[in-house]
Amino acid sequence: MSCSPFDLRDYFLKELTDPQQRQVEDHVTTCSSCFEEMEQLRLTEAALFSLRDEELPQRIAFVSDKIFEPSPVRRWWTAFWASGARLGFAGAAMLSVAILVSAMTRPAPAPERVIVERTVVQPVSDTEMKTRVDAAVAQAMAGVEQRHAAETRQIKTDLEDARRRLLLAAEYSERKDKRTQTARVGLYDLPEDK
Amino acid sequence: MIFRAVEDTDLIRQAARGSVEAYNLLVSRWEKRVYNYLLRLARNREDALDLTQDVFLKAYQNLRKLDDPGRFAPWLYRIAHNEAYSMFRKRRPESDVEEIEPERLEAAMSAGQSDVFPIELGLAVSKALDRLSPDQREAVVLKIYQGFKFEEMSEILSCPVSTVKSRVYSALELLKLELAPVKARGLS
Repeated sequence: MSCSPFDLRDYFLKELTDPQQRQVEDHVTTCSSCFEEMEQLRLTEAALFSLRDEELPQRIAFVSDKIFEPSPVRRWWTAFWASGARLGFAGAAMLSVAILVSAMTRPAPAPERVIVERTVVQPVSDTEMKTRVDAAVAQAMAGVEQRHAAETRQIKTDLEDARRRLLLAAEYSERKDKRTQTARVGLYDLPEDK
Repeated sequence: MIFRAVEDTDLIRQAARGSVEAYNLLVSRWEKRVYNYLLRLARNREDALDLTQDVFLKAYQNLRKLDDPGRFAPWLYRIAHNEAYSMFRKRRPESDVEEIEPERLEAAMSAGQSDVFPIELGLAVSKALDRLSPDQREAVVLKIYQGFKFEEMSEILSCPVSTVKSRVYSALELLKLELAPVKARGLS
């Protein structure tokens, strides 16, 4: 178990910050067991680095090499789609061309015809006009007379009803008076000496 | 410190806009690292070369999908990892990837050893790496040889950082037990 303030392996693997590294270095100079552990790790690292990196047996093919070179059409197509601004401009240009072509090829629309139905008034003679007016007046008068006759009948009926109710009321009143008089006579005629 | 006239991020942006020359330069900068990573996974030069070619072609086709050019390295190695494991599965669809036998392992691994170290050490390293599980070996390759951080490895291997750490630590313990004594003998 190491007594180092930080893990010696982290120091060895360069995972500590600079102040932490210095703390470990200071500790290792005074602690024999940690010094021994650090030596073991250094020997291990030195052994591992005895295996050096190899050079490549042949160079990696660049994307600019012929085998990777796309066709000019494909390059143009890729570059075209890669640029948003260019794509937007191309879209606007296509729209403009479409509008222009549409305007040039299609005939201008004719103004809509407004169909007005005309009423043809035939000339009417004075005689005919007089006959029509007389007929219209007669029709109107007949209507008025009918309406008046109906109203008169209604008024007569109402009056008859009113007269009948009055007669009944008078008769009822007369009978009532007679009964009252009879009762008074009976009352005054009571025998006094009994 | 090496100052580059053009940074990788600039090349990636130019390549994403369709600059083939920028991508070619990017390939020339990364091909050796990717090849050696794949060589240590596939343990066969021809396979590693074919895979490297496929990785860079696929990366070129998908470069526009890379949102952050600063994450190019993990992204590229993720492609390499997927391509390698895809090939392993095609080769042995009926068996587990972990059961794949190393092909000409010792020849491949010792071919790159330094002349200043004894052959014994190179063989010992090859054998020690071979004793690791494929996951542990890949973790060691990414961490020790390729210098990735745990978080980047998590992205490449598509697994949690804790899993990555566990693989690296366990592999390191095994390698230390095997290699430290050999190396110490070589130095003495």
